[in-house]
Amino acid sequence: MSGIPDSPAAPAALEIPALVQRTLSGDSAAFECIISRYERRVARLAMKLLGTPDDAQDAAQEVFLRAYKYLHRLNLEKPIEPWLMRMTVNVCRNIGRKRKLRLTTFSEAEPPETAADHNSRDPYLGIVEDQERQMLRQALNSLPEKERIAITLRDIEGFSTAEVAAILESSETTVRSQVSRARVRMKDAIGQMMGGQR
Amino acid sequence: MNCNFSRETLALFIEDDLPGSQAETVIRHLDDCLHCRQICRELQSSQAFIKSRLRPAVCSSTGAEFLDGVRESVFTQIRNEPDRWSWFLRMERALLPGFRSHRYAFATLALLALISASLLGQIQRAAPGVQQSAAVFEGKDVLRLPERYKEWVVVGTTDGLTDSQSHDQTSHRIYVDPTGYHEFAKTGAFPEGTVMLLERVRAENKRESAPALEASVKDSSRFKGGWGFFDFTGKGGEIDSKARALPDGACRPCHELRGQTDHVFTQFYPVLRSARVES
Repeated sequence: MSGIPDSPAAPAALEIPALVQRTLSGDSAAFECIISRYERRVARLAMKLLGTPDDAQDAAQEVFLRAYKYLHRLNLEKPIEPWLMRMTVNVCRNIGRKRKLRLTTFSEAEPPETAADHNSRDPYLGIVEDQERQMLRQALNSLPEKERIAITLRDIEGFSTAEVAAILESSETTVRSQVSRARVRMKDAIGQMMGGQR
Repeated sequence: MNCNFSRETLALFIEDDLPGSQAETVIRHLDDCLHCRQICRELQSSQAFIKSRLRPAVCSSTGAEFLDGVRESVFTQIRNEPDRWSWFLRMERALLPGFRSHRYAFATLALLALISASLLGQIQRAAPGVQQSAAVFEGKDVLRLPERYKEWVVVGTTDGLTDSQSHDQTSHRIYVDPTGYHEFAKTGAFPEGTVMLLERVRAENKRESAPALEASVKDSSRFKGGWGFFDFTGKGGEIDSKARALPDGACRPCHELRGQTDHVFTQFYPVLRSARVES
C-alpha cells in the first residue's frame, strides 16, 4: 500500500491508507470516497443477512458510522474490506437479535436479483430461474448458521478463504471445514430438489 | 471402492481450496477412482448452479436510491457525531493515527511517560535555591550523626587549649556544612539547617579519632533561641550514631552571650571571617 502522495490529488485517485489519513484530518470528501468504494458490498451483504431493505439500510448506515468513529483503529497494512465486512456481520447480528429475526442468508421476500434481465429473455425461463433461486434459498437456510455464512461469503460473495477467516475472526482451517461441509450438504439438497437430474 | 478421501476434501479440491501437496495427491487418486470423479462432477455442477443463480450481478434492492439514502444519513450524523464521543475516544483518535498497532502506540506513550518522569526528577534535583539541610532528625530532637562530616569545611582549629577536666592539652577541629558555609560567606548569616561540629582530640593522639564530638544545629522551629546542641560522645570515648538535644541551659546561653555571630564563635574561626571578607 502506498502512503500519502506528495502532491495533492483528487480523493477518488488515492488509495485507502491516504483516504483514511485524510479522513482523520477532517476531509469528509475522502470518507465519501471510502463509502463509495464499499457501499454496494456492505449493502448487499446486509441485505443477504437481514432480508429486508429497511433493515439492510439501517445496518449499512450503522456500519459506516462505526467505520468513521473507529477509523483510527484500522491497521493500514491490512485490507479494509474484511474490516468492513466483519463490522457488517456484527451489526447485522445485533439488529437481528434486537428484532428477534433469525439471521438468514436469504429472505423469502427478497425480490429477484436479476429482474432487469427478464424483459429481454423468455419469461418462462425467468420464472424457472426464480423458482430455482427459491429452492436454493431454502436449502441454504437449512444449513447451520456458521456454515451458511461461510459458504455465502466464500462462494456467493466471492471472498477468499483468508478474507472469510478475517471477517469471521476465525482460522482458515475452520473456514475450510465449514465451507466444505456446506458444499456437500448443498450438493445433496440440490440433488434431492432436482430429482437426481443434476 | 473404498477411498480415503472424504467428500469434504473433494469439495475443497474442486474450488482450489486445498493446499498444493494435498491437491496433487487428489489429482493422482482421481486418475484411478471413478467414484471420486463422479462426486467431483456433481460438486462442480452444484457449485456452478449456486453461483449462477445466487451470485449477485445486479441487486435491485440495493440500487442507487438505497445507497443515496445511506450516504445522506451517514453524513448528516457524522456532522454531530464527534460531539457525542467520550474524552477517551477523542484522545485515542488524536494519538493513535500513524501507529501500526495499539501496542506500538501504548509502548511509545509508556516510554514518553518514563522519560518525562526521569527529566522531571532531574529538574527538581537540580532546581536552584532548593537547599537540603545537613541535619537529619529522628523525631523532634534526636539528631543523627552527619555522614562524611570530615569532608565538610574546616573553619577553625584550636590547639593547646586545656580540657578543664583532664588538664590534658586538646585540639579542636570545627566543621561547618558546605551549604551553611557558602550562605554565611554570601550573606553573613547562618541559614536554617546549618550544622556545626566540634571534634575534640587529645594532644598526644590528635591524629586518631576524636574522643569527643559535639554539634550545634540552627533550627528555629525546634529549639528555643534557634539553636540546638548535641553531644555524640558515648561511654569510653565511642562516638554514638545519634544524640538527643542537650537541655537548653547546657550550651546555648554561653554561645548566645559570647558567640560573635548568631551563637557562633566566629571570632575563633578565621576561615569563616576571611570567607565573609572575600565575598
